[in-house]
Amino acid sequence: MDNNIILLIHPALGGLATLAALWVFVDTLNAREASLSRIKNISILCAVLIWLTYLIGGYWYVVHYAPEKAIIKGGPWPFAHGFFMETKEHVFLMLLLLATYLPIAASGNLVASKAARKVVLWVSGLIVPISLSMEGSGAIIAIAVKVGLLFKQAQGG
Amino acid sequence: MENYEIGKYTRSFGLSFAITSVLSALLVIVKELSEEGVLAWMKAMTGHHWVTHGVLNIIIFVVLGWALSRVGKGQGVKISANGLVSTIVGSVIVGGVLITGFYLLH
Repeated sequence: MDNNIILLIHPALGGLATLAALWVFVDTLNAREASLSRIKNISILCAVLIWLTYLIGGYWYVVHYAPEKAIIKGGPWPFAHGFFMETKEHVFLMLLLLATYLPIAASGNLVASKAARKVVLWVSGLIVPISLSMEGSGAIIAIAVKVGLLFKQAQGG
Repeated sequence: MENYEIGKYTRSFGLSFAITSVLSALLVIVKELSEEGVLAWMKAMTGHHWVTHGVLNIIIFVVLGWALSRVGKGQGVKISANGLVSTIVGSVIVGGVLITGFYLLH
């Protein structure tokens, strides 16, 4: 399989996880007995998608990222690695735990307990912007590789 | 009629998440400032410092969450929903600021 396919699967799964977290947030706002099992299932789906995003992206990062890192650091956008990748890889670890916690928080009776709903709303609500910032950082890193390659070509390399 | 209680695992693992997140952010700073010490040890453990970092986070999150659910004669750690939400949100902000701030200045 072309290794670049991994770079498509990674953000695609992350995007789906973001949608799942948003689904949990909206569904929890209007929690009913009929929607309880759906909220729990989608919160599990969100956690699974974030874990897959982590494992697939992590595999790419550990095994295939080094040559791209060298291109970025040698190009006009070295901050794409120095700030965006470094921040992304570590904030993602926080996101991984937050998504793992979401099904635990959603396991309570969200219809009867306003407190339980509040926790789920905040956790799912935090996952959405953090995931979107991961997607944005990934886009900057990908463009930095392109910019680095164009720079190298212009230099006659 | 609404019940304002939250489950013991929601409280325990929520608090565990908050503590683990801040510890993880502090570990970022410690390992980056100690390349020949902490960073080298983390690389040696799994072959890559980031893999070790992730494994440590998961272990701390699970063990701490389980331990906090056992305190109070098995009733779990006591914290209100407002306190838990504030702690979770606060830890995300503190962790995020520590990581982004460090790489902005480093």
